[in-house]
Amino acid sequence: MPEQVDSLTLLMQKALAGDKGAYAEALRLTAQLLRPYLSKRLNAASEVDDLLQEILISMHKARHTYDGQRPFKPWVFAIARFRLQDHLRAHYADPLRHAVDWDEIEETREADVTETAIRYESITAQIGQLPEKQAAILQLLHQEGYTAREVGERLGMKESAVKVAAHRAYKVLRKLLDREWKK
Amino acid sequence: MEKVDALVERLAQDTLPLRPAPHPYKLGLSWLLGAAAYLVISLVVSGVRPDWLQQLQHPWLQAELILLVLMCVSTALSAAVLAFPDMHQRGWLTRVPLVLFGVFGVIMLLAWHADQPPAPLPIHSFECTLSILAAALLPAAWVVYTLRRYASTHVRRAGSTALLFAFSVGALWLRLHEVNDSVMHVILWHYLPMIAVGWLGLSVGQKWLRW
Repeated sequence: MPEQVDSLTLLMQKALAGDKGAYAEALRLTAQLLRPYLSKRLNAASEVDDLLQEILISMHKARHTYDGQRPFKPWVFAIARFRLQDHLRAHYADPLRHAVDWDEIEETREADVTETAIRYESITAQIGQLPEKQAAILQLLHQEGYTAREVGERLGMKESAVKVAAHRAYKVLRKLLDREWKK
Repeated sequence: MEKVDALVERLAQDTLPLRPAPHPYKLGLSWLLGAAAYLVISLVVSGVRPDWLQQLQHPWLQAELILLVLMCVSTALSAAVLAFPDMHQRGWLTRVPLVLFGVFGVIMLLAWHADQPPAPLPIHSFECTLSILAAALLPAAWVVYTLRRYASTHVRRAGSTALLFAFSVGALWLRLHEVNDSVMHVILWHYLPMIAVGWLGLSVGQKWLRW
């Protein structure tokens, strides 16, 4: 690592003298140096990439504060730490950081409710064993193609109650089918 | 990764020559010379206390003024070092004003203890703080403006130190201008507000020195 830092210092000295190639190489090596540092502290790879870019831009903006006479690593890590703190501060200050995009969930849940690997017609016997309401919900969802919301409107139920009932029905169905397949 | 590579290429092409930052000692010295000129002009305009030669014979006042000057020097150098992301690898300099402030506090307490019988309190009170603040405005604006050209990664500390430097200059001016021998008054209305100013500087740094 010290050899790399030394080479970085040398490259930055050349970069400060106007060598574009040396500067590009210094930026590339800096990115390599900082990536593990950021990866350890951030979860998402996309966050690491975004922050790394931000740090490189900051380094570029602040290059006039580096004279090439002192070690490069403390200088660049000070900038990296500063930007990382900024990023984390903004992240934790965001009241919606734990929020889940309900639209995505809705899509997923609806997909779970309406899309099954088994065709409705092939398991009508098992559906017949379900409570009347659950059977009606599955019929409307899978045979007639209504959405959970539409089923709710028809049966006078809330959409979420339809989904819950459908999930319960799936559980029972799974057990029934498992039992039959084991036979 | 591709985005990073593209960015590197783009940044490498943008190597327009930037004016390199001066050495922090040079930067601090420029502030000190500016402050000295400002102090002289202010004293010429407002006038030095008439008994200044006689007053300067008092050892406690000598110690107070020497420490105030040292506070100016140390805060100027400290703010200059804080202008650099890595503090120019002289982080120890940023702790010197704190040490001096402690010594200054002890000296002022000793001076207060030695003030027997105590000099009469002047009629005015907070006006002194306001005068110091008014006198400190210009140096504060100058130092903060200069700091914005660099890249501090300790923006709160830099803001606080910059304002302490300016306030020290203002305090030095008032101490040489005002005819007042009450140590109690000086502690209460000249130097205790320094703590509030240092505190305010944290917010100033946070707001004005981000880049």
